[in-house]
Amino acid sequence: MTEHAKTAPSNHTSLTQRLRSFDLRRHTYLLSVVFFLILCGINIALQPSFLQPGVMVSNLSTFLPLILVSIGQTYVILASDIDLSVGSIVSLVNVATVSIIEGMGGTGGAIALGLTTGLGLGIAAGLFNGLCVALLRFQPIVTTFATGIIFAGLALWILPQAGKQVPATVWQTYGGSILGVQTVIWVLTLAVIFALVLARTRFHHALLATGGQMQSAFQTGLHVLRVRITAYALSGLFSALAALCLVGETASGDPLLGTGYTLSSISAVVLGGTALSGGIGGFIGSVFGAMILGLIDNVIFFARLPFEYQGLVQGLIVLLALAGGVFVSRR
Amino acid sequence: MLRRTFLTLSAAALVAATGSVAPTAARAQDTFTIGLSNGWVGSEWRTQMIDEAVAAAEAWADRGVEVEVIVQSADVDVQGQIAHVRNFMNQGVDAIIINPNSPTAFDPIFAQAAQRGVLVIATDAEVSSQDAIYVGIDQKGWAMKSAEWLAETLGGKGSVVAINGVAGHPANQMRVEGYREVFGKHPDIEILNEVNANWDQAQGQQAMRTLLATYPDINGVWVQDGMAAGAWRAINEAGRTDDIAATGEIRVDFLTQWKEKGYNSAASVNPPGVMASALNVAVLKLQGHEFKDDVFGGVYGNAIYLPIPLITNENLDEVYAEVKDKPGYYSVTTVVTPDEAEQYFD
Repeated sequence: MTEHAKTAPSNHTSLTQRLRSFDLRRHTYLLSVVFFLILCGINIALQPSFLQPGVMVSNLSTFLPLILVSIGQTYVILASDIDLSVGSIVSLVNVATVSIIEGMGGTGGAIALGLTTGLGLGIAAGLFNGLCVALLRFQPIVTTFATGIIFAGLALWILPQAGKQVPATVWQTYGGSILGVQTVIWVLTLAVIFALVLARTRFHHALLATGGQMQSAFQTGLHVLRVRITAYALSGLFSALAALCLVGETASGDPLLGTGYTLSSISAVVLGGTALSGGIGGFIGSVFGAMILGLIDNVIFFARLPFEYQGLVQGLIVLLALAGGVFVSRR
Repeated sequence: MLRRTFLTLSAAALVAATGSVAPTAARAQDTFTIGLSNGWVGSEWRTQMIDEAVAAAEAWADRGVEVEVIVQSADVDVQGQIAHVRNFMNQGVDAIIINPNSPTAFDPIFAQAAQRGVLVIATDAEVSSQDAIYVGIDQKGWAMKSAEWLAETLGGKGSVVAINGVAGHPANQMRVEGYREVFGKHPDIEILNEVNANWDQAQGQQAMRTLLATYPDINGVWVQDGMAAGAWRAINEAGRTDDIAATGEIRVDFLTQWKEKGYNSAASVNPPGVMASALNVAVLKLQGHEFKDDVFGGVYGNAIYLPIPLITNENLDEVYAEVKDKPGYYSVTTVVTPDEAEQYFD
C-alpha cells in the first residue's frame, strides 16, 4: 500500500492505478471503520446489552487511554518517526500527578497543580524526544527506546511501589458527569475537536509533507525540524492526557502502569490505516484502531472462550485485521 | 439450561420422596454467576488457584446450587484488570472474585460494582477498597508461623539469614515484618543478612551459595516460597544439610526432596485454594447470609483471614501421602468448605 500511495503517479501508471492511489491517500481509515463495525456487530450478538448507554460509557472508559495515546502516536508516525517512550510517559505523568496531589494534601489547588504539572511534564518529555531525534539527528527507534527507559526510571524513582491515593472527588468526577454529560465523553470530544482543528492547520500539511518526502519538504523550505519536534510534543501531550484519565480511573499511582501502551498504540495507528513509513493517514483511523483493539478484548470475553486460548485468539484477530488492510490495498 | 431443569426436577423428586420441605428445595432455584479475575499468569500456583475455584463452583451443584463461573486470566496491567471487572459488571455477574494486581487502584471500580449490588471479594492480596472484602491468608502471619518454628528449632539462639522475594512488593513487605517481629522476640537470635532473590528458584540458590560462603556459621535460614528448593540445594551442595535448619515450601517436588534427604525444615502453607475458599464465602453471602460483626480485621479492616497450615517433619509423611501422586509443580492446598465457611456468618 505504502509503495503505491507514496510515489506520485507517473506518466507510466494507468488511470485506474492513479485513481486507486488517490483514493487510498484520502480514505486510509475506511477499512478500520468497516472492521470496527463488524466487531460491533459481533459484540452486539454476543452481548445484547452492548448498546445500552451505561455499557457504552463503560467501554469508552476502558478504551479512552489507548485512544488518546494512539492519537498522539499518529503525529509522530505521520512524520515518519516513531515514539517508543509513550508508555513510560504515561507511567511518569501518572506517578508525578498522584504524588503532587497527595503530597499537597489533596486540596482543590493541589489537584489543579497536579493535573497541570502532569500535562506539562508530558509535553516536556515529548520535546526532549523531539530535540534528540530531530535536532541531534539520533535514530528515532533507539532514541525513544532509551528515553523511555529514562522516563520509566524517573517514574520508579518518584514512586517505587504502586500506591498513594487521590481524593475521592477526583475519581468520582472522572467516573461521573459534568454538565449532564459523562466526563469520559467530554474528554474524547475535546480531544477529537482539537485533532480536527489541528488537521486543518499549516502544521498538519507540513507534517504530511515531511513524512512523505522529508528531503523534498526540506528543500521546499519547510521547517522540518520544527514539525518533527512539534509531533513529538503532541505525542507527549496526548500520553499525559491518557495518564490523567488513568489517575481518574485508578485513583492511585503505579510506576508500571503505562508499559502496555507503547506497542498497543503503534498497533492502533497501523490498524487505522496510517503508514509506518509516514506521510499517509490520520488520527481518525487511530481512534478506530484503538477501539478495535479494545473491542477484540470484549468479543473474546463475551464469546466465553476458555482463558487458555484467549491470548492466541486475540493475536490472530489482530493479525487478521492487519492482513485485511494489506490484501485490500494490494489487490 | 438442561442442567438447571434436571437439578430442579431432582430436587423436586427429593422433596416428593422425603415429603419434607428441606432447605434443598429452596436452594435448588439458586443460580449465581461469579466472575474470577486473575491478573498475572506465570506460576503454576495461579493456575491451580483457578482450577480449584472452578472445581469448588461445580461442587455447589451437589448442594442444589448452580454456580456458573466466568474466568478472566491474563497478564494484564491494572487498567486491563479494571476492564475485567467492567466486563463482569456489564455481563451482570452476582459476584467478582479477584486476585488483584494493585492494593489501591481498584477503589473507584469496586465502588461502582458495589453501587450495582455486585459482591467483590479480593483474595491472595489485600485491597484498600471498603467496598470489597478480602478472604485469604495474612501474609504477615504466614511468615511468623515458619519464623516461630525456626526460632524454636534453634532453641532461641543462633545466626540466621533471610532470603526474600521482590523488594517493595506488598506481600513481601508484610512477610519481612512478620519474621523480624518473631526474631526480635529472641535476643539471642542474630539476623546476619537479608537478601532479595525475587521469588526465583535459581536466584535463591545463588543467594544461598553466597551467604554460605560469607557466613560459615549460619544456623538457620528463613527463606520464602519459590526459592526454598533452590536454597536447600545450595545447602545440600555445601554438605550442611545436617547442621542447618531452613524453612521450605509446599510444592510436591520440594516435599519429595525434603522427605528423601531428611531436611530439618518446615513450611507455612499459602494454599492456592484461597480463591475456592473465597468463592464458598461468596456463595453463602449471595444466598443472603449476613457476616458476623467481628470477622473482619487486617490492614484495611475488611479482611477475613483463613487458617494457615504448617508442614513440619512431624506431619510431613501424612501431607506427602496425600499429594505424592500429583505433578511436581502441584502445591499443597486447603479449601474452606461451605460448611466451614458458615462460621463467618450469623
